[in-house]
Amino acid sequence: MLSIRNLQASVGDKPILKGINLDVKAGEVHAIMGPNGSGKSTLSNVLAGRENATVTGGSVTYQGKDLLALAVEERAREGIFLAFQYPVEIPGVGNVYLLKAALNAQRKHRGLPELDAMDFLALVKDKMKLMEMNESMLYRAVNEGFSGGEKKRNEILQMVVLEPSLAILDETDSGLDIDALKVVSHGVNSLRSPDRAMILVTHYQRLLDYIKPDFVHVLSDGRIQRSGGPELALELEREGYAWVGDATNEGVVAP
Amino acid sequence: MNPFLTQCRASFEAQATLETEVAERGRRQAEWTRFEALGWPTTRLEDWKYTTLSGLEKLSLQNSVEFVEEVKGGLPSLTLKGIPAPRLVFVDGAFQPDQSMIDGLPKGVHLRFWSDLDAPEREQFVRKMAPARALTAFGALNGALFTEGVWITVDAGCALEAPLHLVKVSRTGQRMSHGAVLLELGENSELTLREHCEGSTDQPTHSNWATAIELAPRARLTLVKVQQEGLLSYHTAALHALQRAGSRLQIFSFALSGALGRNDLTLRLIEPHAECVLKGVYRVADRSLQDFHTSIEHDSPHCTSDECFKGVLEGTGKAVFNGRVRVALDAQKTSSRQSNHNLLLSDKAEVNTKPQLEIFADDVKCGHGTTVGQLDEEQWFYLRARGIAADLARTLLIQAFTLEIAEAIPHVGVREEVRRLLSGTVGESDHA
Repeated sequence: MLSIRNLQASVGDKPILKGINLDVKAGEVHAIMGPNGSGKSTLSNVLAGRENATVTGGSVTYQGKDLLALAVEERAREGIFLAFQYPVEIPGVGNVYLLKAALNAQRKHRGLPELDAMDFLALVKDKMKLMEMNESMLYRAVNEGFSGGEKKRNEILQMVVLEPSLAILDETDSGLDIDALKVVSHGVNSLRSPDRAMILVTHYQRLLDYIKPDFVHVLSDGRIQRSGGPELALELEREGYAWVGDATNEGVVAP
Repeated sequence: MNPFLTQCRASFEAQATLETEVAERGRRQAEWTRFEALGWPTTRLEDWKYTTLSGLEKLSLQNSVEFVEEVKGGLPSLTLKGIPAPRLVFVDGAFQPDQSMIDGLPKGVHLRFWSDLDAPEREQFVRKMAPARALTAFGALNGALFTEGVWITVDAGCALEAPLHLVKVSRTGQRMSHGAVLLELGENSELTLREHCEGSTDQPTHSNWATAIELAPRARLTLVKVQQEGLLSYHTAALHALQRAGSRLQIFSFALSGALGRNDLTLRLIEPHAECVLKGVYRVADRSLQDFHTSIEHDSPHCTSDECFKGVLEGTGKAVFNGRVRVALDAQKTSSRQSNHNLLLSDKAEVNTKPQLEIFADDVKCGHGTTVGQLDEEQWFYLRARGIAADLARTLLIQAFTLEIAEAIPHVGVREEVRRLLSGTVGESDHA
């Protein structure tokens, strides 16, 4: 599904990604862990197409296409979904409007008819139950005045409505209390399927108690330093990132 | 004398010869003299520093007194579909009884037209209009040249649920229109006035209206004005409001198109616990300018004012916002907020914004803020990351920026209608 080869990227003049290699197959869940400043968020952003990082080398192939040649919105319509670390508030744009426009943009791209208002609302309300969200949130502006937990739930709501082929979750667990984490994880797990892949970007092991990855990669200094199974995350929790040369010598235990 | 003034003088003289009443002729002469004494507004005057009238002064426009028979002839070509009753329609400054629908108004609402008033009533009307006409030179011009006016009074305790529509159409090119609106709301009465300023010609026009408002204690007035005029239309408007104890005035003003718009609004809170809300949007693109000069005068304690204007500037568009707030020495416990936010979407667009706070009382809460910025890149990326096309995402964000103003309109029907106007055809029913 996704093949990253020797990917290099800079933010400003500073090289952040220094040669990433990663293969993600349909049905797999990959966790990318690493200390602050290791390049985790830059990797998610490069995959989603954010312009603030400049790709300086390497390639990314997604479902046989050159991903880096696609515009941000084309990537989304091709089934890539980025759950934002910091979901932005958009006063004046209704949550329900965004969901419908996003879903129909994707359906149109795939040659499917647009959903009418009735079918769309039925679908969304069903998904909101899954995310334990109040329907009134549909009629509020995108993320406006939402708490940190509500914003993350709203991200996952969008994800379960859009049913992406490749979901990238950027620090989705940050700022969540344990109950919200369970709801969010439940939403994510509901999407696990043999034809869908996920990349979980996280600093802490905690999320992986709820969403079990097939593979864990440790990112540091712009490179994947180690890859392994779920046991690698537990090892990181015991020993911290110090061994990969984390300058901040920060632990991985949730605060 | 520039061509505009030359033609104004000709109109004034034509009107004077028609005027049979001596007192009325004298009042108009006084206004003309005042207009001449004030002089043509040029950018050398502080109030007109960023607003050049060089386009208007080249135009030679006829006043409706010179074609009065023609405008009475009815308007088969005009479509006012979608504007429900009750409505008052003025075309090129002349009232159109056939186009208007005012039969169903409640008993407590009275409409009188300038042309039907007797001499003492005219004297009274002009006296009540005077503060609005005193605001600018165009106010004086309005006093000298106005051809029609409507005097709307709402009796004490009368609340009109349906909005009253005031439709002003510039239908014919090379013409100007000068009209007057006098609004008096009795104690504890309520009215929503929806003002439509439209143009149905590509030719130059000038619309110059004056509005005077008096709110008795606890009266509630909402005024929603939308300017959607032609590319060569000039629009000047002066509004003066006097608010008594506990009254609430909410003005929403949307300047969406036209060559040049200049709105002067002065709201005076002269008794305790009066509240005013003054919100607006201006949108300018190539070869257009919108100018809002507002003044909120806290003359009495315990009053509240809430002002917010938002601007969207594209191409070579220009805008001016001058927001004066004056808090008199004894207007203690005043609460006043003002903000002006601008989206500058082109290197060639220009906005001149100036908050002007004059606070003489010491126990007050007054805040103001001004921003000039571009579209938020993070918001733009977020929408695109959900599959929304780059152009549509941009349009949505621009609309969202201005929709916030419409959201505050209390009347749900008017709010929805303005929301649709601001959204064009995009996502008509889905904005939350």
